[in-house]
Amino acid sequence: MKKRSKIAGVYLGVMLALMYVPILLVIVYSFNGSRISSVWGGFSLKWYAELFRDRSYLEAMTNSLVLATLSSLCAAVIGTLAAVGMPKISWRSKNVIEYISTLPIMIPEIILGMVFLVYFTLMRLPLGMTTLVIAHTSFCIPYVYMLVKARLVGIDKSYAEAAKDLGAGEWNVFLDITLPLILPAITSGVLLSFAMSLDDVVISVFVTGVHTNTLPLKIYTQLKTGVTPKVNALSTLMFGATLLIVLLSMWFGKKTVQQTRRRKNHEESSDSYPGIGLVR
Amino acid sequence: MNAGETRTRRRRGTRAASLAVAPLYAFALLFVVGPLVYMVILSFLRRAETWGVVRELTLENYAHILEPVYLKTFYESLKLASLTTLLVALLGYPFGYFMARLSRRWKQRVMLLLMIPFWTSSLIRLYGWIIVFRANGVLDRLLMALGVVQAPLKLLYTYTAVVAGMVYALVPFMIFSVYSSAEKLDWQLVEAARDLGATSFQAFLTISFRLTMPGLLSGVVLTFIPSMGLFFIADLLGGNKVVLVGNLIQEQLMKARNWPFAAALSVVLMILTSLMIGLYRRVSGVKDLEGLV
Amino acid sequence: MKRVLTVTLVLALFASLLAGCGTENRDGQGRKTTLNLFTWEGMFPQEVLDEFTAETGVTINYSNFDFNETMLTKLQAAKGGDYDLVIADDYIIETVIAEGLAQKLDRSKIKNFGNINPIYQGQFYDPHDEYTVPYGAGVQTIVFDPKAVKIDITGYADLWDESLRNNIGIIANYRVINGMALKVLGESYNTEDIDVINAAGKKLLELAPNIRIIKDDNLQDDLLSGEIAVAVMYTSQVTMAKMANPDLKVVFPKEGIGFGIMAMFIPKNAPNPDAAHQFIDFILRPEVSARCFEWLGYYCTNKAADELIEPEYKEFLTLPPEFTSAGMEMIQSVGAEAEEAHARVWTEFKAACGQ
Repeated sequence: MKKRSKIAGVYLGVMLALMYVPILLVIVYSFNGSRISSVWGGFSLKWYAELFRDRSYLEAMTNSLVLATLSSLCAAVIGTLAAVGMPKISWRSKNVIEYISTLPIMIPEIILGMVFLVYFTLMRLPLGMTTLVIAHTSFCIPYVYMLVKARLVGIDKSYAEAAKDLGAGEWNVFLDITLPLILPAITSGVLLSFAMSLDDVVISVFVTGVHTNTLPLKIYTQLKTGVTPKVNALSTLMFGATLLIVLLSMWFGKKTVQQTRRRKNHEESSDSYPGIGLVR
Repeated sequence: MNAGETRTRRRRGTRAASLAVAPLYAFALLFVVGPLVYMVILSFLRRAETWGVVRELTLENYAHILEPVYLKTFYESLKLASLTTLLVALLGYPFGYFMARLSRRWKQRVMLLLMIPFWTSSLIRLYGWIIVFRANGVLDRLLMALGVVQAPLKLLYTYTAVVAGMVYALVPFMIFSVYSSAEKLDWQLVEAARDLGATSFQAFLTISFRLTMPGLLSGVVLTFIPSMGLFFIADLLGGNKVVLVGNLIQEQLMKARNWPFAAALSVVLMILTSLMIGLYRRVSGVKDLEGLV
Repeated sequence: MKRVLTVTLVLALFASLLAGCGTENRDGQGRKTTLNLFTWEGMFPQEVLDEFTAETGVTINYSNFDFNETMLTKLQAAKGGDYDLVIADDYIIETVIAEGLAQKLDRSKIKNFGNINPIYQGQFYDPHDEYTVPYGAGVQTIVFDPKAVKIDITGYADLWDESLRNNIGIIANYRVINGMALKVLGESYNTEDIDVINAAGKKLLELAPNIRIIKDDNLQDDLLSGEIAVAVMYTSQVTMAKMANPDLKVVFPKEGIGFGIMAMFIPKNAPNPDAAHQFIDFILRPEVSARCFEWLGYYCTNKAADELIEPEYKEFLTLPPEFTSAGMEMIQSVGAEAEEAHARVWTEFKAACGQ
C-alpha cells in the first residue's frame, strides 16, 4: 500500500512539474535583454519598464480577469442548475436542449465568433463586456454541465428523498445535500472555464467592443510585428500574483483546518465529504 | 403521509426542477440557436465576388467538401483528435484517480497547482515549449552536454511535436473529469474487495474503474470535441504542415473570403464530431450518461 | 473545495478593483477627446502615442484585430462607425472603399501630406490618394544564412534546389507563396487564369520537400536558431533577423519584387474624425515617422523621414537609391474563382509538405 502511494506521488509530481516547464522559460525570457527569443541579450528589466509605461496592458488584463470571472460564474450557475434539474424533468425537449447547449464547443471558434457578431448586431446588442460575457458563457456551460452531470451519476437519490421525507424543502435539499456533493465538480468546471475564457481570442476579437480589449487579443494581434517579451513580463507578474494568492489562501486555510480539526476530531479521519458513505 | 401529499410534493419537485433548467433553456434558445441557424443558412448561400454573400440557395458548398483535398483534412483532424484523446486518457486518468486519493488539503493544492499554468496564455506557453525543443534549444544543449546526442535533434515541426502539444493543452480536461468522478468513490468498497481475496488490479477493474467510467467518458468527450477544432498548436509546433479542418475553415473565412464554404465545413465538422461521440458511447456501452450528445 | 472557489473570487475582486479604466474622455464642451485606433498590436512605440496625447489632449484608445478580414467584418457590423482610424493592408482597403466604409481625407487638415514617398502613392487600392495615407511597406525578399547554404540564392527559382531539402521556412500567406511559383513561371501575381494558378500549384508541389516550416509568427527565430537556413518572411521579421545576425544575406529576387503597403484610413462614420486627421498629420512629421519605422521594421513610406533614420536601420527601412518601381508588383484582390483556386492549391501544397 505504501509503495503504491509513493508511485502515485511521483507520478503526480512529475506531471505537475512538466506543466511548469514552459512557465519557467516564460519567466526566464521576461528578463531577456533581446527582443528575439533565440538571442540572449543579457539580464534586463526593460520589458517590465515598457510594460508599466503602457497602460493598455493593465487595462486589457483587468478586462480579461473581469470577463473570465463573470463568464465562469454565469456558466457555473446555469450549468449546475441545469445538470441537477435535468434528471428530474421528463420534457421531450430536454435532450435537444442538452445537445444544443454543447454545440458552442463543437463549432470551430472562428465561425462561432463571426456568427455571434452578426447575431448580436441583429439583436442590436452593443458590443462590449455584455456580448463578451454571453459568448464566453456559451462555451463554458458545456464544461460545467458535463462535469457536474458525471459527478451526479450514481449518487444515491434516496439520500435526498430521505431528507425530503423529513420535511426539507427542495431548496434546502439542494443547498445542504446536493451542493456539497457536487462541489468538487463545480469547482473543476469553474477552474477550467476560467482558464478557457482567459485564453480565448478567436471569439473575443469578433464580439469585443471599442473599449474592451482583452489580454489574449493584445498578444495574438502582434503577429504583424512579432510578440514582444513585454507579454512574458506580464505573464510572469500574473503568475507571481496568482501564486501569492494561492499560497496565502493555503496558509490561512491551514489555520482554519487545524481549528476545525480540533473541534470535530472524529469526522476528519474519513477525510471525505458528507454522504460519501451512501454512494453505491 | 397520504397519497395526495406525495403528489403535491412531487409536483413541487418538478416545478423546482423546471426552474432549475430554465436558465439553460433560455440561454440555449436565445444565444445558441440564433447564431447556429444563421451558420446553417450561410452554408447554403453563394459567395459574392469580392466580399460577403449572395442570397441565392445552393448545395455547391457541400459538393465542394467532397473534393479529395478537403476530405483529407477531415481524416487528418479525426486521426489527430483520436490519437490525442487516447494519449490524454492514458496520461490523465491515473492523475485524476491518484489525485482523488489524496488528503483533502492536498486535493485542493494539486488542483490549484495544476490550474495555475493554464492561466498563462496558451500562445506564450507554446513559445516556452518551442524554446525547449528547438534546434540548439534547452533540451538539445542539455542532451549534448550529457553526451547523449551529438547533433541537434530536430524535434520541432514534426507530427510528434504536434501530438505532444495537443496532449499538453487538453490533459486538464481529462484530469478534472476523472477526478470529480473518482473523488466520490467509496474506498472502503475497494478495500472490502481486497479483503475478499481480489488482487489490487482486480479490485481496481471491478470497482474503481467501473465507478469512474462516467468521469472517463465525460473526459473523453471534453477532450475529443476541442481537439477536432484546435489547430493553432499544429500551426505553431507542426509548422503548419498538418492541414486540419479548423485551419481550413479559418483560411476559407479569413483569407479566401468564402464564408459559405467555411460554414458548410463547420456544419459537417459539427455533425462528424457528434457522430463520433455517439459511436464512442455505443461502443463503450456507458448508458449512465444519457442525453448529452 | 470552497477554498479553491474563494481563491477564484479573490482574484475576481482583485480584478474589479483594477477595473474602472477605459471610459471615454470628454473635454469641457462635451466633445469626445478620445481617438479610437484600430489596428494590430505594436504598430507604434508607446512614446509616440504618449507625445500625441500630451500635445493634443486626445487620449488614444488602442484596440486590435488579428486579420484584415476581421477588421472589415467588424467595421461592417459597426456600419463604418465606432473606430476613428484604422491601419490595415492595401488589398483590404480596396474592399473597404468599395463597400463605402471609408471617408475621404480632408487634406487641408494634413499639412504634412507632401512628405509621403510618391512610390507608395496612387496605388490600385486608392488610385487618387483620396482615402489613405501609407504607413509602412513590406517588400518580399529571400533571407538566408550563407554558412548553412551551399548555393548562392539570387531568385525564387533557387529555392527549388535539392540542397535545400527540409531547410526552408515560409510565411503562411498563400498569395505570397503561390506568387513565388507564379513568378518563377514568369506570370503576374494577380493572374486570374485558373490554368496558370493550377500550373503554379503543380510547381509548388515540387517545392514541398524543401519546406520545413510554414508559419506567420516569429519565423526569424527559426532562422536565427538554425532550425532553417532560408526564409521567405515578413519585412519586420527580416529586419529583426538582420539586426540580430548581420551575416544573413537578404536578396531581392531576380524574378521581380512583390510589395505590399499598410495604410491608414478613417471609417465613414468615425466618431471623432478631427482627432484622426490630427493623428495622421502628427505621424507624418518626419522625426515622428522615422522613430515609428525604426520601431516597426517596415520600409519607410515617408520620404522626408528617410534621411532621419539611424544608419544602423537605413539598409532595411529605405529602398536603395537605384531602385525604381518598374520591376515591382503589388498583390491585389482577384476574382472569386481565382481566389478559390489559390486556396485549393495552397491546401494541397501544405498537405504535401507534411508528407
